[in-house]
Amino acid sequence: MIAVDFPSIQNLVEWKNIFGDGTFFAFNKIGLISVLALLIPVALFLFAKKDAVPRGLQNVTEGAVEFVENQVIMPTIGPDGMRFLPLLLSIFLFIFFGNIFEVIPTFNMPANARMANPLLLAILVWAVFIFVGVKNHGAKYFIEIIWPPSVPVGLRPLVGLIETLSVFILRPFGLAVRLFANMLAGHILLVTFGWLCVVLFVPNALAAILPFSFAMLVLLTGFEIFVSFLQAFVFALLTAVYIDSSLHPAH
Amino acid sequence: MSVLATIATETLELAQEANLTADDQKGIAGAAGAGMAYGLAAIGPGIGIGYLVGQAVQAMARQPEAAGAVRTNMFLGIAFTEALALIGFVVFILLKFA
Amino acid sequence: MLLAILAADEAPKEVVNPIIPEVSEMFWGGLSFAALFMLINFVLLPPVQRAMRDREATIQADKDAADAARAKAASAKADADDEVADVRAEASAVVDTAREEAEAERQRLLARAEREVAAMKEIAEEEIARDREDALLQLRPQVADLAVNAASRVVSRPIDANAARPVVDRVLNS
Repeated sequence: MIAVDFPSIQNLVEWKNIFGDGTFFAFNKIGLISVLALLIPVALFLFAKKDAVPRGLQNVTEGAVEFVENQVIMPTIGPDGMRFLPLLLSIFLFIFFGNIFEVIPTFNMPANARMANPLLLAILVWAVFIFVGVKNHGAKYFIEIIWPPSVPVGLRPLVGLIETLSVFILRPFGLAVRLFANMLAGHILLVTFGWLCVVLFVPNALAAILPFSFAMLVLLTGFEIFVSFLQAFVFALLTAVYIDSSLHPAH
Repeated sequence: MSVLATIATETLELAQEANLTADDQKGIAGAAGAGMAYGLAAIGPGIGIGYLVGQAVQAMARQPEAAGAVRTNMFLGIAFTEALALIGFVVFILLKFA
Repeated sequence: MLLAILAADEAPKEVVNPIIPEVSEMFWGGLSFAALFMLINFVLLPPVQRAMRDREATIQADKDAADAARAKAASAKADADDEVADVRAEASAVVDTAREEAEAERQRLLARAEREVAAMKEIAEEEIARDREDALLQLRPQVADLAVNAASRVVSRPIDANAARPVVDRVLNS
């Protein structure tokens, strides 16, 4: 029986504190990636020229803005959702650049594979869509969820309970868990095949598996780039859907 | 369910026979349960996403002009369906490391 | 220091569930996101959006101008087409009248020529008839002499030419 010593998950996702060890502002790799996920979008916006004819970096910045406008806001909220563009754009960029460090050498860690950032953003989105609902519909917003007037009276307690659970608990939970689990799963996959490439470099028959694990590593790296983008897109898209459901509750 | 129960009890019996400590036994049972939890949680969403994407591709092939709307809704559907598998993954981690 | 932050933590720590978020990571993440949102909302996005809106307006204006120019060109082309059609119609009318005139002239000339030809033919026929008449008249005495000679040989005695004359004329005229 051949066994491979797989590193414990603690060694895959937890990082040394570089300063402030033990305090609330302890700074580790995740903090560094979070700060970079702030600095890179800011640099994108700062160094992009504002020419009439976009060239170079300006294409990237305006492409991101246009992507959020056309693919996230327009299909869900519609034209009156443009006032949420700054929020959705910063969510999209922050998550994307937090994710993409998963495949950047020497980092090899998505910030969102830790629960901190996803949970924070999910709570923010939760607060935003409740705020938007209350602002647009007042107390009626809660009443229509807890005691939905569009279903028969007999079913209202049941449907209301399900709706309340799904809107106020499952939505933020789902948002956070979706992002976190996707990134953690991708990270573990990459680590698994990377680790296999290392431990299978042995002078016996087991080395025959090495090319396959290397091919898988290359394929999965490409796949994870796609997933990094897709998860940022899905998070922003779901945020837009939730905001839309607060703006125009379904009847 | 009886199969799962059998596997779990047999794993536990094997662990007891090997004179493992209670923590080790807990770890072994947790690992077995974790693997099972994720495997089972992946079945439904796997079928669901396959069906969903298949239908979406069919819709796009029939109405290429509606491809944009179909794609957006496809991603939304995938996100909701996939959440089940991801909850399974989280349960896996909870069972394995709790 | 940077390298130290990138290296994996090798020291085994106490087992903590990886799902539980860490406060310090939330602090840095929240700080970064808040800063990003504030910067994008108030500082970074407006100029980019303004640039995009300006470009859209420019493109729209250019498009409108192009549409106007195209409409103008189309109307000019329609005018020119009308003119060309008019001229062409005029030209064809001129050609038609010319052709009709030419045809009429031709018919007239043809008729005249035919008439002339007919007249000339008539004259010629008259002349021919007259010539034949003349020739017959000239021939008649000689024929009569020949006939009288021949007849006198047959009867072997001289015949009075003047007496035979009416007989010869009667034969020739019959």
